[in-house]
Order: sequence, then structure tokens, then C-alpha cells
Amino acid sequence: MLNNSARSGKSNVGKTGVFDAETFGSDLLDRLFSAGLSVPTGPSLPADHAADTLLTEEAALVPAPGEELRVVPLVEVDQCVAQGQPLFSLRAAEEIKLVAPMPARVAAIELNPGRRLIQMLLFREDGGDRHAFPTEKADSDAAALRALMQEAGLWRLFRSRPFGHIPALSETPAAIFAMAADTRPAAPDPKTALSGREEALSRGLAALKLLAGDQVFLCEAKGRPLDRDMASGVRRITCGALHPQGLAGLQIHRHAPAAVDARVWDIHAEDIADLGDLLASGFLPETRLVTVTGSAMREPRLIRCQPGADLRGLCHGHVQPGPYQVLSGSVLDGQPAHWLGPRDRQASVLSRGSGKRRGHWFSAALTRAARPLPIIPTAALSQAFGGDIPAAALMRALSAGDQEAAARLGALSLLEEDLALVDYVTSAEPSLSAQLRGLLNAIEKEEAPA
Amino acid sequence: MNHGLWDRETVALLLLISVMPLALTWLWYGGLDAAGLLLLALIISGLWHVIFMLARAQPPSFAGALTALAIAMLAPEDLSIVQLVLGISFGSVMAELVFGGWGRNVLNPATVTLAFLGFGFVTAPWPELPLPLAWAAIPVALLGALFGVMPARVIAGAVVIIGGAHFLGVPVTPALPAIAVVLVLLVADPVASASTKLGGWLNGAFFGAMIILFTLGWQSAAHVQMAVSAALLTSLAAPLLDEAAIALWLAQRRRRHG
Repeated sequence: MLNNSARSGKSNVGKTGVFDAETFGSDLLDRLFSAGLSVPTGPSLPADHAADTLLTEEAALVPAPGEELRVVPLVEVDQCVAQGQPLFSLRAAEEIKLVAPMPARVAAIELNPGRRLIQMLLFREDGGDRHAFPTEKADSDAAALRALMQEAGLWRLFRSRPFGHIPALSETPAAIFAMAADTRPAAPDPKTALSGREEALSRGLAALKLLAGDQVFLCEAKGRPLDRDMASGVRRITCGALHPQGLAGLQIHRHAPAAVDARVWDIHAEDIADLGDLLASGFLPETRLVTVTGSAMREPRLIRCQPGADLRGLCHGHVQPGPYQVLSGSVLDGQPAHWLGPRDRQASVLSRGSGKRRGHWFSAALTRAARPLPIIPTAALSQAFGGDIPAAALMRALSAGDQEAAARLGALSLLEEDLALVDYVTSAEPSLSAQLRGLLNAIEKEEAPA
Repeated sequence: MNHGLWDRETVALLLLISVMPLALTWLWYGGLDAAGLLLLALIISGLWHVIFMLARAQPPSFAGALTALAIAMLAPEDLSIVQLVLGISFGSVMAELVFGGWGRNVLNPATVTLAFLGFGFVTAPWPELPLPLAWAAIPVALLGALFGVMPARVIAGAVVIIGGAHFLGVPVTPALPAIAVVLVLLVADPVASASTKLGGWLNGAFFGAMIILFTLGWQSAAHVQMAVSAALLTSLAAPLLDEAAIALWLAQRRRRHG
């Protein structure tokens, strides 16, 4: 699985778009023998679909679901800001900044008590500036690289496991996972997002080696290897074709388990290419590749838009008549939202009523009385856990709140998104992701330095 | 948001669909007597489910029908109604319902009922199952494995060991219908069997080994009695096998990741 050496890019499945019996056969075999499930999500994007660039009129900086951001605003309402200009610094670590996704006028800053960010609303200003970052020494010196990433808002795109927060200011990762694979239903293909940006990706990966030494892992989708030979010393992993193999949590669990004293970071490969561009030019790239799909869309869309984009702006004019609901994220792990989440790359537009059915009050009362509902260990369950994790044992540890057993089985490498498929498949109640979050919070409280 | 379909009742219904070939074949050969016995088992098992629903707010499950089918097929013959009621009540209540219903039980309730009836009323003769039931068990195992509701590794492990023993000259052929029916109805139970990959293989192999042991060393036992006893011992050993498989997996991970 691990492949340190350079690899010849001989198999480019689907690149030509011509039906090929051999690749079709091997694709079928991959799907049969890869642990995981495929989730039906309606029509998928055609392989040769071109991405339009669409900057929405409004955008917002919001915390990720469940994240608490205590911030100090660096700008005022009605001020014009350049794309990439720092707007907030974190109260706990003022070096870490959140930046403007587009040239804009600040429309509103909403904070909860304790300066917890609710949202900062931005209106786009045409012809605005781009903020230039000083990048000298950042591609050769770890401290300078950290400072640059923290200043340019890229630090926030790292997620540190266990617990899944922004890495602390001086935290050193035991490993960094760069995800050039995403198997979530209807997720944008990272290879499309990276096409033409291979050099930036190499530069970004080389920079990450300053932070994590030789423990930088590049996860590629099976059958979709990146064309170029990436920087040497980066370990390349091929992920299976089915969900959940392309989630960072599963790969971290398999190749470099996270622990309280060995934090493992993950970041999307497109963000690393952004880092590479930032290092080369001093400017932050303006867009990311996003899919807008779901049962209420007339046709799926592939768009390049700014981070924090207005989701209604992305699907406006492409939705079927009738009530609908917009999620930031995939149908499995998405949350109802108005704005594209900080690390989300897809929006799901669902028709209302495709969710939970209302049952009879008597069966509802019975079901509530029996919570947590028993889950039968079937083949579907172990596939939804990705195949290697002892599914029933981990599930039992989670629902019993057994921290030691769960940590031993690898729960510290996982986050809510990694169990979203299990929740979908088993319709667990209460959801296993919520149970995992509760367990992680309890462990974090105990482990926190007093 | 949306959710999939693998909740407890879907699994129970798929299991019921999977065992249909066996149930129909058995009814075909057993006639009215078999149907009456099945009805009695269904009524008693269903009654206990309703009692636990009213008293403990435990949702009843279609898995009760699976238990009833296994009991009706494998219970000793010539038992009085009181004895049957006693046995089925003991099995469903003490092995399943007091733990919180299907999905939380440790042992298969049908296995417990049959062991209770067999060891409690030793004079009652065990049924002789006709050979076509062994054939009917094959589509059951295939359907169960295809739907993913029966642990395929358990069945495969048992088939490998018993088949191997057959080729080495152990006389398992006369007991084959009993072994096949017990394997698909009692041993390949997704809840009470081992749930890890290696544990599943070991679980099936353990059942096979018990069968071989009893064939060679317990000549006086009826075929069904032998198979049910092997199933009982296997399901008692299943958690241990799981624990061993997980310990091995953890040791491998520790060696790889330090």
C-alpha cells in the first residue's frame, strides 16, 4: 500500500472517456473487493464536466458545526477589505487569523457573549484588491511557514486528531495526511480540482515536510493517481474506491493512528495547492471546487466558488419547484446551513419530505423507550466501518461510553464524519457520531493539562 | 438527514425471508402436525413479546418468529403442551427478553429453549430430520450471506471443518440434515455469533470441531441433540473467540504502529 518511490503514471482510468472493457472489469473487481458501500444520490456529474467560476454576491465567515471560535475582530462594519485580508484573530492565539474569501464590504459582525463568532457577513465589491502576504523564507524555514499559514488563514484548514480542532499554535504533528481522495457521495473529484496545479501541490507538499518530516502521507483515489511525481519523501497511499475509504479518518486509523500525545493533521490536497500558490506568488487563490447536488437539483453542478459562499446563490435557478433544504456537506454528514462550511467542498440540496417519516405515536413512544436502539452486526455494518475496524466492538464501546476500549480500538483517529455512513446505514438512534463526539469531549476534558 | 434501511427489523425480516426455503420444505414434509407446532411456538413467543412490550416498553421484533421456527423444527417430540410452553417461555424470556430484546441478547433464545427441553425432559425422543432439509439449508445459507444478515464466515468455517472431517473418514453423513439445519438456524445468528472477521471463522470452526468430537465420542446421542449441544457450546464460546480475535488485531497494530 505504501509507496515511497516514484510511480509511473501508467493507468489513467476514465481519462479518455472511451469505454474500456479492461478498466471496467478491474473497476468492478475493485468495487467488489474494496470494503465500503456506494450510496445512491441520484444523477452524477458527467466525467468531462467543466467547472464554471461563480463568486456569490454574499459570503460569510462561520465556525464549523460544533466548533467554538472566540475571536477578536480586526476590521469594522462597513470597511472595505481585500481578498485574503485578515478579518479576525483568535483570542487564544492571536497569530492565527481568519481571512476574507473575496474583496468585500463588511456587512455585519455577529458575536455571541464571550466573543464567540456566529458569523461575519460580507458583500462582494467588484474590482477590489488582493492582500499580498510576505513569503520570504517560508518555503525553507518551519517557523516562517507556520507564521505564514497562520497569518493567511490556511492554519484553520488543518484539522488535528484526536478531537478534530484547529491545531494549537505550537503543536507539532506526528503525521500530516493530504487527502487527494474523497469518496463521499457526489464529492468533487480532487484530481479535477488539482488538474493544472500539480506544481503548486508539489511545492505545498514540500513545505509540509518542514512541519512533519517524512511523515507526510498523500492519499490518492484508486484508479485516479495524480499525474506528476510528487516531491520525494512524501508517502503515497492509494485509497479504495468506495465510501468510507476516502475519508481521512479511515486512512489515519490504518496508517498512522492518532493519540493524545501524537496528533495527526489532515488537510485537503486542494488546500495544499493553495499553499503552494501562496508560497510562489504571495496571493491566496480565490476559489475552491465545489459540487452542488441532491434530489432537489434539476441537474448537478460543478462550480469554482469562494470559501464561505452563499449556498442559495450556488443553487439559485437550478432547483426544482417545491420546498427544499440546503446542506453544507454531503447527504451523509452535511448540516443545514446558509453558508458553505470552512472545510466543505459540496452542497446538497434535498427535497423536503425525503427525510424522516412521521410514524405512529405508539411506535414512536416504543422506539424512544428502547434507546439506544440495538444494532445488529451485519455485513453492511462492517462495510460501513471500512472493513478493518472491529465494528461491533467499537459500537459497543461507544454506546457504553467505555473510553479505554474505544481508544484502544482506534476511536481517537476518528471524527463524526467517519461514522456518518454507519449512522446512515443503520439509522442508529442516538447517532454514533454524536456518541463519538461525547466520548471525545470526555477524553479531552480528562487529558487537558490542568 | 436521510437514513438507510439496515435497522433491527429490516435485518429480522431479511433473516425470515432467507429461512423461507427451509421452513417451507419442513412444512411440506411435516404436514399439519408441524404447522400446529409452529403455530403454538409463534403464539407463546409472540405472547411474551407483547407482555414485555406492555410491561417494559420493549418494541416486539420479528426475530421472535425465527425463534419459534427453530424451536418447532428441532424440539423433542411427544412433549406435552405444558412442557413446551415452559421451555419456550424459559428460552424467550431468560435468553432474550430480560436482556432488552433481540439485538442485546448473549445467547440465541432458540438454542437455550432446545437445550432446556432436551436436558429437562430426557425421555422425550429427538426428531429425525429428512435429508431434503439439508439441501434446503443450502439456499438459506446463500440467501443469508447474500443479504449480509448471516455471518458468512461462520458458515464457511463450519463447512470447511465438517467437510474436511468427512473426507478424512469421520462418519458425519447420517447427521447431516441436523447439522445443516442447526448451522443456519442457530449458529449463524448475527447477534449471538462472533462478530469479528477472524472470530467468525473460529466460531464456525469451533462448531465443526464440536460436531466431530460428538460424532466420535458421544455415540448414544440423537443427531439433533448432538448438533444442538454443539450449538450451545459454540454460542457460549463466541464472545471469547471475538475477544481473542480483537487481542490479536491489537497486537498486530501495536507491532506496526508502536
